[in-house]
Amino acid sequence: MSAAMFETLFITRWPWWAGGIGIGLLVPLLYLFLNTALGVSTGYGNIVRLLFPRSRLKWLNSPTFAEPFGWRLWFMAGIVLGAFVASRLGAQSLLTAEMGILTASGVSSGASALLLFSGGLLLGLGARLAGGCTSGHSIHGIANLHMSSIIATIAFLLSGWLAFWLIRTLLFGGGVS
Amino acid sequence: MARVLADTHLTLRRWCFVKNLPFLVFGALFGFFLSRVGASDYNLIYRMFELTDLTLAWVILTAIVTAALGMRLLLGARTHTFSGTRISVKQKPLVWLNAAGGVVFGVGWAMSGACPGTVLAQLGEGKLLAVATVLGLVTGTYIYAVLVEKWPSLGKS
Repeated sequence: MSAAMFETLFITRWPWWAGGIGIGLLVPLLYLFLNTALGVSTGYGNIVRLLFPRSRLKWLNSPTFAEPFGWRLWFMAGIVLGAFVASRLGAQSLLTAEMGILTASGVSSGASALLLFSGGLLLGLGARLAGGCTSGHSIHGIANLHMSSIIATIAFLLSGWLAFWLIRTLLFGGGVS
Repeated sequence: MARVLADTHLTLRRWCFVKNLPFLVFGALFGFFLSRVGASDYNLIYRMFELTDLTLAWVILTAIVTAALGMRLLLGARTHTFSGTRISVKQKPLVWLNAAGGVVFGVGWAMSGACPGTVLAQLGEGKLLAVATVLGLVTGTYIYAVLVEKWPSLGKS
């Protein structure tokens, strides 16, 4: 591989269309090879199941989580692995305490962690209530013209946009940029 | 020796290695793409909501269009997977929870600058703070399990 090609593939950030096409192609390919709908968020139920193997909660004992080490967990592990490979090939730092604008703006690690934990909690709860996340609803669902996914995605975007401005105004007094 | 082999075989079967390896490969491609295009970059999500850099919105839109065209081609050409399973695209039910849960999700999206998939890519990139987001996701999912136990109507989506 030439140095220029390596640079384009692994160092320089991909243009939006290249990433979009790559991600989009995974939807039909997942059906073609594995008859599986693209989706991540349900897999967090596998992790909860593994953390509480004796839980009597009905949802955790549903057939979806009968095999907690099933494909969803493997798919999730794959995402970590793929991003790890991308970051190694791009020679980025192995571990970093930074999180872009958030930590660069002087917000302490503790406050950042609290904000991200709370955000993650709402992501987990919201995705389960809505029946999917950005991949399952917004990409897989809309591509298949599912009305529930179109509604969910409109809610994701509107609510996210509103919450963003509220957080910026209330927490950071108007801006972190 | 035979015993060790038998044990290893059993462990492998239990972890369904062979059956699940393709999912690891697909996940790795997904994670690689997410990382290379910058979907796991906190700043890009921040700028998208700020409406100052819509790169990620274009990524999502391109992905939707590509996936839609790909599904058309696929379903026009084949009815079964390579291994002979009938391809079935299941539609998620349309309920008010799609919007209500979506609102909760949106707030989480803005607060964490990530979604359930991209946060895993952040982990792979070695971003330590992503651990907090993942812990939040696991907690939120557990809270859902508790809520749906009490109010089964929340489980319709």
